[in-house]
Amino acid sequence: MTDAATPTAQPQAGLRPLPLQGIRVCDFSWIVAGPQATRILADLGAEVVKVENESYLDSMRIGLQSNSERPTYNGSGFHSNLSRNKLGVTANLHHPKGREVVERLIAQSDVVVENYSAGAFGRMGFSWERLQQLNPRIIYVSLSGYGHLGRDNSYVTWGPTAQAVSGCTQMSGMPDQPPAGWGFSYLDHTAGFYGAIAILMGLHHRRRTGEGQHIDISQIETGMVLCGIPVLDRQINGRDYVRIGNHSRYPAIAPHHTYRCRDDELSDRWVAIVAETDAQWRGLCEELGMAALASDARFATNEDRVRNQGALDAAITERTRDRDAAELMYALQARGVAAGLCQRTDDKMERDPQLRERGFYRTAPHAELGEHRFEGIPIAFERARWRMDRGAPLLGEDTFDVLTRVLDYSVEEVVELQTEAAV
Amino acid sequence: MTTPGADPRPGPLEGLRVVEIGDRGEVAGKLLADAGADVIRVEPPSGARSRHIGPFVADRPDPNHSLSFHARNTSKRSVTLDLGTDTGRDLWRRLVGWSEVVIDSSGPGVLDALGAGYTTFADHVGFVWCSITPFGLTGPWRDWAAADLVNLALGGAMMSTGYEDHDLPPIRPDGEHTIAIANEYAVSGILSALWLRDGDGEGAGGGQLLDVSIHEAASTTTEGSFPNWEYFGRIVQRQTGRHASPDGTPPWQFLCTDGEYILLMGGGVPREKRILDALIEWIAETRPDLAQRLRDPAVEEVLYRDPRSRPDLRRMVSETIGEFVQSRPSQEIYRRGQSLHLPWGHVRRPEENLDDPHWADRGFFWEGEAPGHPTPVRYMGAPYRMTASPVRLRRRPPLLGEHNHEVYVGLLGVEAGSLAGLTKAGAI
Repeated sequence: MTDAATPTAQPQAGLRPLPLQGIRVCDFSWIVAGPQATRILADLGAEVVKVENESYLDSMRIGLQSNSERPTYNGSGFHSNLSRNKLGVTANLHHPKGREVVERLIAQSDVVVENYSAGAFGRMGFSWERLQQLNPRIIYVSLSGYGHLGRDNSYVTWGPTAQAVSGCTQMSGMPDQPPAGWGFSYLDHTAGFYGAIAILMGLHHRRRTGEGQHIDISQIETGMVLCGIPVLDRQINGRDYVRIGNHSRYPAIAPHHTYRCRDDELSDRWVAIVAETDAQWRGLCEELGMAALASDARFATNEDRVRNQGALDAAITERTRDRDAAELMYALQARGVAAGLCQRTDDKMERDPQLRERGFYRTAPHAELGEHRFEGIPIAFERARWRMDRGAPLLGEDTFDVLTRVLDYSVEEVVELQTEAAV
Repeated sequence: MTTPGADPRPGPLEGLRVVEIGDRGEVAGKLLADAGADVIRVEPPSGARSRHIGPFVADRPDPNHSLSFHARNTSKRSVTLDLGTDTGRDLWRRLVGWSEVVIDSSGPGVLDALGAGYTTFADHVGFVWCSITPFGLTGPWRDWAAADLVNLALGGAMMSTGYEDHDLPPIRPDGEHTIAIANEYAVSGILSALWLRDGDGEGAGGGQLLDVSIHEAASTTTEGSFPNWEYFGRIVQRQTGRHASPDGTPPWQFLCTDGEYILLMGGGVPREKRILDALIEWIAETRPDLAQRLRDPAVEEVLYRDPRSRPDLRRMVSETIGEFVQSRPSQEIYRRGQSLHLPWGHVRRPEENLDDPHWADRGFFWEGEAPGHPTPVRYMGAPYRMTASPVRLRRRPPLLGEHNHEVYVGLLGVEAGSLAGLTKAGAI
C-alpha cells in the first residue's frame, strides 16, 4: 500500500472535515451508556449540547474526583473522558423560561437523546408526542434497561444488571467457578455503540424521507445480540450454554489460554497465547524450550492438543512462570505465534508502541482539570478526522454561547434568565 | 414475534450497496443488511471461516449448517470467487465497482498483494472502503498474529475481569467481543463517512478509506481503569463477578437457594431511604434477624447523609442483604427486587431469554429459516426498535454461493452459460 492511500489519524488531520459537522444533538443522557453514544457523535464532529441542571445532574460529575477533599461538579476525570467535545448548558425545567430554553433547543436540534428509566422523560414533559410538536423532524433516541415497550419496562438496569440478564455474565468464567462476568460496565459501552449506530441510521432515513422517528433501545437487548450462537444452539441442538474459561470451543483450538508469568511490582502478569497452526505450535515449543512436548504424541495435532488441554496448559505454564510477560509476547510474535500481554492501563498508556504510533491517546484541555490525555476512537479516516478539542464542559460552561448563537437570545435576555435561575 | 415481511416499510439503509470480504467483518455486514442494505458476502469457494467452526446443526459438519455463520450473516447474499484467479479478481473488481461500501477484513495488505485492494480502485469515486484489522493498517504491530483472546488481553479488558483469587487467570468472556466492538465502531464510521459524502459541505461527493483497529476498539472499552490511571496513577484489580477496583469492594453476585446466581448492582445497597425501608420489610418476612440489623439508625445516617463516614457499616449492610438473597430463590429476588426499583438481575444463561415474554412484547426475536434445520428458529433481532424505518430479518443466512447466478448474471451481466465453467475451473 502506498503512503498516499494509508489513512492516518494525524498530523495533517487538522485540515480535514469532521464527518458529522452540522448535526446538532440535544443530549439529556447521563452516567455512561448515553454519554458513550453521544461521545462518538461529538468526536466525529456533531455539536452535542449536554443539558443539565442541579436537579437532574449527570451523577458521573460527582464520582472519581481528582481532588477528593474539594469535590466539585467539574472535578471528575471519568466524566471528562465520557463527555469530551460536548457543550454544556444548564436549564431549570421547573422554571417556565428554563423549559422554554430546552424547547427552543429541541426545535433547533436533529436528535434528542436520553437514557432515563422508561417514562421518566415523558414525566419531565417531553413525551414523544410533545417532541414531535416541537420539531416534526426530530429523531428521538431513548436508551433504557428493558426498552420503553414491553411488560417489564419499569425494571431498571445498570451495566452489570444488563450483563446478567442478557446472558453475557454467564458466558464469562471458568466452568468450575461462579460466572466472572465483566470487570466493568461492558454493556454501558455497547449500548452506547449501538446508540450511535441507531442515531446515524435515523439520520440517513431522515435525509432520504424527511421523516423523524422514535428509536427505542433496550440495554439488555444490546447484550442479547452478542449471544446469538448459544441461542441458536439451544433451539437447534438442545444444548444449554456451559462456560469454557479462556479456551475456545468454536473453533476448538489448543493451546488457547492465558499463562502466568513473573509478577511485577503492581500485579500478577499473564500472557494470552493462541497457537492454531502446527507451525505456530512448533514456534511456541521452540521459544519455551519444550522440545519434548513438540514430539509428545498427546500433543501431535490440534485435535490431540484440544483433547489433552489440561495437561498442555500445565506444561506451558511451567515454562512461562518465570518469564517476563511482555518480553515473552515479543518473542512469540517474532515467531508468528499469536500472543498478547494481559495489559493494564499503564501498559497501554505508557508502553504500547502501537497505540502510541497511531496517536490513540490525545491530550486536550479542561477548564478545571487542566491538560489530560483522553481515549481515542478506533477509526482513522483518510479524508476526514475525529477530534479531541477539550474535555467535558464545566456545568453550564456553554450556556451563554448556545443561547445567543443557536437560540437567538440576546445578551440581556440571557442575563435575565440567569438572574431568575431559569438557566 | 416478528417474521420476515411483517413490516414491509423500507429500512433506514434501504438500497445501500455493500460488499463484504474477510472473516472479521461479519457483524458490520449483518448490521447494515438487517437495516436494509444489499450486502453481498464474498467468500472463497471453500466458504468463509465461520462456516467451518460450528456448532453445526445436529453436530454434523457442513459449511451450510454452521450456527456461527447463521448468527452473523442474516439478510445477506453470498457469492463465491477465488481471488487467486484472473476471473475471480475480475469479478471482484466488478463487484466493487457496483458497491458504495466495501467491508474488508482480509488483513493488512492482503488484497493489495493480489492487485485487488483499495488502491486498485483509484478512479472509483465516492465509495467507502472500511478496513477492519487486528491492529490497524499502520504501526509496529500491524502484521502481528492475532485472535480475539489476544486482542482482549492487549485491550485491557481481561486484567479487569476474573476472580479475587489471582491464581486464577484474567478471563476472556466468550463471544469474540473484540471483533463485535470493532464492527460496531466500523458501522458508525461507515455511516459517518456516507453522511459526509452525501452532504453539501467540504468532503461532499467523495469516498475514502477507513482504517478500523480492533486493538484500539478494545482499548477504548474498559471504563474506569482509564481515569484511575490517568488521574490517580492507580491500577484496578479484578474481583469475582463485579467491577475491578483499586480497593476491594463487597461482593455483588450471590448464589440463591435454587442454585442460580443473582447480581446485586453496587452490592445491593438501595440509593434511597424509602427503598431501603421497603427492602427491610421484605427481609423481615422470612429473616427478622437480618431485618433487625438493618434497622440500626446508624445505617440510615451512614448511607444517606454521610456515606464516607463508616465504610465498615456500609459493608455490613451489603453483606446482610447478600445473606438474605442467599436464603431465597433467584426469581423472587429478581422480580420482587425490580418491583422496588432495585437494579438487580438474574444471571441468566443466554438461551433463557427465549422464554421471557417481555422480549416477545417487543418483537425482539426474528423468526426465520435456519439452513439444515427443519423448522423455523428465532434469531436475535436488532438492538434498536425504529418506529419509522424497521430493522428486520430480510432473508435467512445464505448458502455458500447461493447467489452466484443472481449476482453474476443478474447484476454484473456475466453470461449465464459461462457460470458452470467458472465453477469447474475453481474461479467461483
